[in-house]
Parts: sequence; structure tokens; C-alpha cells
Amino acid sequence: MSSKDKKTHQVLQGTLDLIVLRNLATIGPQHAYQIATRLQQISDGLLNLNQGTLYPALVRLEQYGWIKGSWSETENGREAKFYAITVAGQKALRSETEHWRRTSQLIERLLVEGTRA
Amino acid sequence: MIKHLARAMAKTRVLFKNRRLEEDLAKELATHLLYLEDEFLRQGLSPQEAHRQARIACGGVEQVKQAHREERSLRWLSQSLQDIRHAFRSLLRSPGFSIAAILTLALGIGANTAVFSVVNAVLLKPLSYPKPDRLVQFWLKSTEGSVPGASIPDLRFWLQHAEAVDDISAYDLGQGVLSLTSGMPEELRGVHVTANYFRLFGAPLVLGRTFSADEDRAGSDKVVVLSYGLWKRRFGGDRQIVGKAISIGKKPYTVVGVTGESFRSDPDADLWVPFQFNLNSDNQLHSFGVVGRLKPGFSLSQANVQLRLAAQAAQRQGLLPDPDYTFELEPLRDAIVKDARASLLLIQAAVSLVLLIACANVANLLLARATVRQREFAIRAAIGAGRGRLLRQFATESVLLSTCGGGIGLVIGSLGVHALLSISPGNIPRIGDGGAAVALDWHVLMFTFGISLLVGIIFGIVPALRVCVPSLNQSLNEGSQRLGSDSGQSKMRSLIVLSEVSLSVVLLIGAALLIRTFAALRSVNPGFDRHNVFLMEMSLHGSQFATTANVERLVEDTRQRLAGVAGVEVAAATYSPPFGDRMGLPFAAIGTASGNLGNNGDAEWMSVSPGYFAVLKIPVIRGRDFSDRDGKGGSGVVVINETMAKRYWAGKDPIGQSIQIGRGIGPEFEDRPRQIIGIVADVREHDLSEPPQPTMMIPLAQEPDGTTRLGLQFGPIFWLIRTRLEAHQVAGQVSEQLREVSGGLPAGQVRTMDGVVSDSIERQNFNMLLLGVFAVTALALTAVGIYGVMAYSVAQRTHEIGVRMALGANRRRIRNLVVGTGMVTAGLGVTVGLAAAAFLVRFLAGFLFGVRAWDPTAFIAVPVLLAMVALFALWIPARRAARLEPIEALRVE
Repeated sequence: MSSKDKKTHQVLQGTLDLIVLRNLATIGPQHAYQIATRLQQISDGLLNLNQGTLYPALVRLEQYGWIKGSWSETENGREAKFYAITVAGQKALRSETEHWRRTSQLIERLLVEGTRA
Repeated sequence: MIKHLARAMAKTRVLFKNRRLEEDLAKELATHLLYLEDEFLRQGLSPQEAHRQARIACGGVEQVKQAHREERSLRWLSQSLQDIRHAFRSLLRSPGFSIAAILTLALGIGANTAVFSVVNAVLLKPLSYPKPDRLVQFWLKSTEGSVPGASIPDLRFWLQHAEAVDDISAYDLGQGVLSLTSGMPEELRGVHVTANYFRLFGAPLVLGRTFSADEDRAGSDKVVVLSYGLWKRRFGGDRQIVGKAISIGKKPYTVVGVTGESFRSDPDADLWVPFQFNLNSDNQLHSFGVVGRLKPGFSLSQANVQLRLAAQAAQRQGLLPDPDYTFELEPLRDAIVKDARASLLLIQAAVSLVLLIACANVANLLLARATVRQREFAIRAAIGAGRGRLLRQFATESVLLSTCGGGIGLVIGSLGVHALLSISPGNIPRIGDGGAAVALDWHVLMFTFGISLLVGIIFGIVPALRVCVPSLNQSLNEGSQRLGSDSGQSKMRSLIVLSEVSLSVVLLIGAALLIRTFAALRSVNPGFDRHNVFLMEMSLHGSQFATTANVERLVEDTRQRLAGVAGVEVAAATYSPPFGDRMGLPFAAIGTASGNLGNNGDAEWMSVSPGYFAVLKIPVIRGRDFSDRDGKGGSGVVVINETMAKRYWAGKDPIGQSIQIGRGIGPEFEDRPRQIIGIVADVREHDLSEPPQPTMMIPLAQEPDGTTRLGLQFGPIFWLIRTRLEAHQVAGQVSEQLREVSGGLPAGQVRTMDGVVSDSIERQNFNMLLLGVFAVTALALTAVGIYGVMAYSVAQRTHEIGVRMALGANRRRIRNLVVGTGMVTAGLGVTVGLAAAAFLVRFLAGFLFGVRAWDPTAFIAVPVLLAMVALFALWIPARRAARLEPIEALRVE
């Protein structure tokens, strides 16, 4: 694969959940293929995400009640399960984002402190 | 957190819609793959290559599905289901083993379930009244124990001074008999109560009301409350019955109410009538029970302290007759259960030992099986199953076995409890009519389920540890190392057999002691001839026979009539036949020359008609029997028994002495002075295991009217008939004559004196029977256990035996080797068992009679019996070993 020399990232469980939620919140309902493609696009191939990895995340989010899947037809007439973010999901997205920001800020600061010392 | 809760619920829902989720997932993935294929086709790949690349990009269809499954479902649960499926398959593969194990457990669990259902109904279930734990029974206690009943002065005292107790009510201690004389005459269970009795027990009513305070007073109108059952059965559920009069003992009683269907009093009753006590009476007769309800805010011990303080104050004021006496409250349930508790606990303990032995046998089977399966487990471990997972698999199998056993055990138990009750003595409290109150409620279900699980864990964990601990290599290589058996393994098996043997010894010694007790009781000579005598009872309460003269006339007429009935030898009457209730009264020796006889003493008191001693063939030792001269008009006479003569006239002749009975304890007992005219032989007529009590007997015709009235109020009159023919050949005629001569009063059921005597030792019989059955079961299980272990060991050591034979050991030596090994284990087990039994027999002491707890016979016979059984069980494998052909034995891998 071409990504051999690129640095690839293993995605943390929580991160993937957050990305999926964010994605559904901005773009609207999507099916699994669309979400996967979108994730690859925005990460610019940095995420070495095999598309099947998405499925456990989707079922987990569905069981949390943060997203909801429903069957309908795609533009080219295929039946697909479209996932949409729920109200609880939006709330969760806000608090998770907030949490993530704080964490990353903290880590950022610690790293900077570390280089100064 | 909400999200975890939501997820747990979602996961639980998955259990029920798993298949649909699978289908959805497949569809979803298919669409996803189609999109990917499109993508790869657009990149210019061939259709086959696009198909392949799409699957690679996804990370493999099956892998995705599996990841999805693990994410969406409860992992431990699905693993458990997997374990259970696996366990089922593995048990089905060896049906012989499974059936043996399940049946052994089912019998053990079934027996425990049956016994526990009774324990539950009698000891554990709360009384079926509102706030049952607040109900208390009053007792008059002395240093010698509690007096079985209360008297009117006691009741008066409690009503005035027991400040912590509400709704104090009195009720008949025994189940009284009242004759319903409306329509077809019938003997009914009637109980006298005071007015607040129904409020105390929260009795529901379907019609009318209960007794008013006015109706409780002496001399009020005659009123009655009917039970639902009687109302339906005899009065067709007549809704207009309140206010109508029914005839009881040929007197009209006005019905004031009918209780609800669910109400059961204890003693159970068909109808209730008010005592109508004169509360100012000084009557010292202790004849009824008193119960009450603790007031809110008072604990039992507080109430008891309060009552005892009141009693002390009463002592100082001279209100209580005897400084020895005090009052005490006991929870009503304990008062009802009485000594049935000890019996039931003994039986429960015995039956749980049987279950332990059954467990040991199944553990043995599992251990043998585990050895065979060691390779299977080693392979599973080699391909990645962790030790925990293997243990879990093992535990699943044993718990599956034990729950199967428990399920069947529940069935056996519910059948067994009927068998148990059918042989049980009629006097187990709280089990209802024919054991109706003993039911499989959720307590019993929980118990059975609980012991099934526990048992599965107990016998499952031991072999599991054995199997999971040895190293992989050793197990995989084991096939080629059959020389000798694994020593750790055989040690554990010996240990199991050893504990089985010792448990059996404990049970057998217990059973042996109870058998000896029962035999001793059976051989007690009660002092009267119980054969060819039967008795019938007749309630005269409230009838025209209220005075001594009337009763005497009835008795004389009856005796004359019965003398004419073919097959009747002699008949007599009394209020207190052997093994019936009896009063104790004080007496004073009067007008004697010898000085020290002026002291008062207490003795049992009864009145008998002429012929009583002849019916029971009680020999008159000195003096004479009652005769026609001793009628109402004759001078006062009394006959005493030997014990009374010895205790109060030691070395002197009581004949011709005079005594005054019942002086100063109430107007009912005012009696004339009586001359002792005879001494009769002692009779054991309360309890075969108790020595006879001093007893004085007066002619029924000379009884004070007061005691006649009391006697009739608290019990029926008993007709005792000695026959030349079988009781049932005569009973019909006798009962016919009785009804005619009494002007239509019904006579109750016929009981033979043989039956009365054996009923008195029914409980000992029951204990012995059950413990005997359990001990024999234990012995059989142990024999199977010993056999199983040795047979297995011989099979394991076939190769070794072959070598020994090849090296010159003869057949007898081989046989002795096997028998010897087994007997050493059994011998150790017996030793441990004897030590345990020697310690445990102290708990049995209260059940024994005529035998010491350390009875040498039992402690010698039981080991001998066990040795014989062990020898028998060892003989078969030993013979098999001895018959092995060395060449063939060596060929065994």
C-alpha cells in the first residue's frame, strides 16, 4: 500500500465515536459507505481505517441512543441503512467535544512545559 | 451514567432480536460492498479483482460480523450460552454417566426439598394473621417449666397489669368438641374464645359480627360464630343465618356472624362460642391459653420485663400463690411450634448429610470422567483456552448436572412431601388439614434452586481443580504413562470415599440410637392392658347433663345397656382416659394419728365410673375397687396409685386414711373428705418415657357439681369398652346404644387403646423411620461410592497388576491388595465418623429413651455393619483384579 511511508494512526475508540458523531451532525444522515469515505477524505488518508472498523462504532453509538439508523433507498436505488444523529447524540457531541478540547489542551500544555524544562 | 444504562438495555434487547439484527447487518454490509466494488471498478480493476479488493478494504466480511456481534451483545452471556451448549453436548455424549449423576442428585435434592417444605411451613412461614410477629402467648412459669394452661385469676391479672399487650384473649388450648344437634347430629370442632379473639387475629367476616363485650360476660345469651366451611356445608351458605338459632348440645345458640373463608384459628375450629367467664372467680383450673398483641413501641423483651415486674409486685401483695411462679411472654409462633422444632431440625440435618454423600458420589464420578477427559482439556488449553475459561466450562457442566438434578428433585420433593406427611404424626403443628399448608412456595423453590447451585459448585470445583492444574505436557503425554495411577488423583478419590464413610457412620449411629429408643418405648409396659379396648367420646357440654347426678344416671344407664351388647365385656366412663388431659389438685391429709401427714401435696386427679379398673385391667394392689356402695349418697372414697402411696405414705399404710382434695382453690372444687379405700398399680398414661405421677381417683358419682361442669366444658366424656370381639364388630352397636341412651347425642370416632398408645410414640416412630431411611440410603450410596472407586482403580492399574503377576504375585495376593487398600480407606472413614458421632450425639440426647447417647451397641454395630458393606462393595473389583490374565493385562496400553 502507498501509505507505507506515511505515518498512520490507530484510532482510539472514543475518537472514532466523536468523529462519526461530528460528521453526522454537520452533513446529515449518511450510510456506512458514505461515512467511511468521508472519514478517509477528511483525514487525508492519515487514518488507516479499514472500513469494517466502523461497524462496531456504529452499533455502539446506536446502543447509546446517540444515533439512529433507518432503512431507505439511495440515489441509485440501493437499500441502505442511513444513520442520523439524535437529540441525545447532539448533546453528547457537545459535551464530548468540550471534554476532548480540554484534554488536548492539557496535553498540549504539558508537552510544551516538557520541552521548556 | 445514562449512556451505559441505555446500552445495557439495548444489549438485553439484542437477546430477543438477534436474528433480525444479523439479517440487517448482512444487508447493510452487502450494500457497503457494492459501493466499494463500484469504486474499484471505476479505478479500472477487473470485476473479480474489484470484488476481492472490496472485501479487503472492509477487513473481511466474517470478521466485521463477528466484531459487530461482540460489540452489540452481552459477551459473558453469549459465552455462557456457548458453555451451556457445549456442556449439554458433552453430557449427552455419555448418557450413562449423566443419568447416574442426575438421578443421584435428584434423590438427594428431592429428599431435602420434601423435608424443607415441611420445615418452611412449620418453622419459617409467618403466621397467617396481620402483623404476626407482634402476637404473643402468655405463660405461667415455674422453676420446673411452664404450666400448660392459664386460669381465670391469671387472665384477670394479665388484663389488669400487662400494660405492653393489647387485645388479650383466651381460647381453648385443645380442640374441643361440640355437638351440633340441628338436623343430623354431628360432632364439631368447637373452640371457646373471649370477645377480642377475632380482633386480635384480624378475622375477616362474611356475615354479621363477632362477640360483643356483653356477650363475653358470665350468664349472657348463648351465641355462636360459624366458620365459613361449616356455614357452607351445613347451612347451605344461608345469607339470612345471622340472628337464627342453631342447636348445640340440644340448646339454642344464636348465630351472630360467619368468618371469612381464609380464616384459620389455631386450634382449628368449625365454630366458636364465648367463654363467658366470671372474671372474679378464684377457679384455679389452668385450662385455656391466653394470647395478645404487643402494643406498638414495645419489644418482646421490654414487655417481658414489664410483666415480670408486675408479677413481683403481685407476689409481694400475696396475689400470686407461689413464689416460684412468674409470668412470661413467648412469640406465638414458637408457642405453637413447641417441640416439633427439634424433630424437624434433626430430620433436616440428617437429610442434608444424605445430600452431601450424594454429592461425594457425583464428585467421584466427575473425577473419573475428568481423568478420561484430561487430554480433551489439555488440547483446548493448547489452542488457547485460558485456565479460567476451562474452570468455567467445568463449573457449567457440574451446575448443569445439578440443576437438572434439582429440577427432577423438585418433582420428587413435591411427591415426597406427601409421602412424608402421610407417615408423619398427626400432631405436627401448622401444617393444616392433611398438610394443606405445606406447599411449594417460592421459599421452597429458592431453597431447591439454591442447594442445586451450591451442590453443583461443591462437587464440580474439586475435580475441576484436579484437571486444570496439571501441566500441559504431562497431560498430553499421559497416554503413554499408564504405569500406576496418578497418585494425587487417587488420594483425592480416597478422601472423598473416606468422607462418605464417615458421614454414613454418623447417620447410622443416629438411626441406631433412635431405633433403640423406639424399641425401648415399645417394650415399656404401660401398666394397663391396651388390647381389646376401644374408646368413644361424647360431648356433653351445654346439654341437659350439667350436674353430677345427671351424668351419673347417663353413665349407669349406658353401662347397663352396653352390658347387653354382644361382644362387650365391660364398659366404663371417665373424663380423662389414658393419654388424655388431666388436672392436678392439691390434697391435705386429715384426721390422722401420725403427725407428719398434715402437709399438703399435689397429685393428678380424675373421676372414674365403676368398671374403669376392670376395663383397663389395672390391678388393685391393696384394699378394694369402687363398688355400688360408693354412689352419690355413700361416704367419700378415693383410690390412689402406688406412686402416690409411696411418695406420701412411705412405709405406712394409707388405706383407711382420709384426705381433703382441692381445698382453698375455688368454690368449684369444694369437696367432702375422702377415705382411701384402695391402692391400684401404677400406669404410664401421659408419656411412656415418663415415670407415673401420683394420682388420686374418685367415683364419678361423687364428683362435686363444680368439677363436673368444668370437666364437661373443657372436654367430652369418654366411654371405654373392653370387648371380646374386634372393635369394629362391636362399635356400630355401641354407638347406636350411646345415641339412644343420651337422647340423640352423637358419639365421636372409635379409637382403639392400642392405637392411642402407639399414637403417643408416633413422633419417635416418625423420627426413627426417617432417620432409618436416610441412613440406609446413605449406606447404599457409600457402598456404590466404595465400589466405584475401587473398580476404577483396578481398571487403571490393570497394567501394574499384570506386571505384579508376571513377577510372581499370586491371585490371592492381588485380591488382598485391592481389598486391603479399600478397607484402609473405609477404616479411616469409620474412625473419623465415630469421632464425629461421639461429638454429635449430644444433640440427640433429648430424643433418646432407654439408651445412652454413647450406646456401646450402636457404636460397635455400626462399624461392623459398615465394614461388611465395604467388604461386599470391594469384593467385585477385587475378584476382577484377581482374575486378570497377566498377558492380557500387560497388553493393555
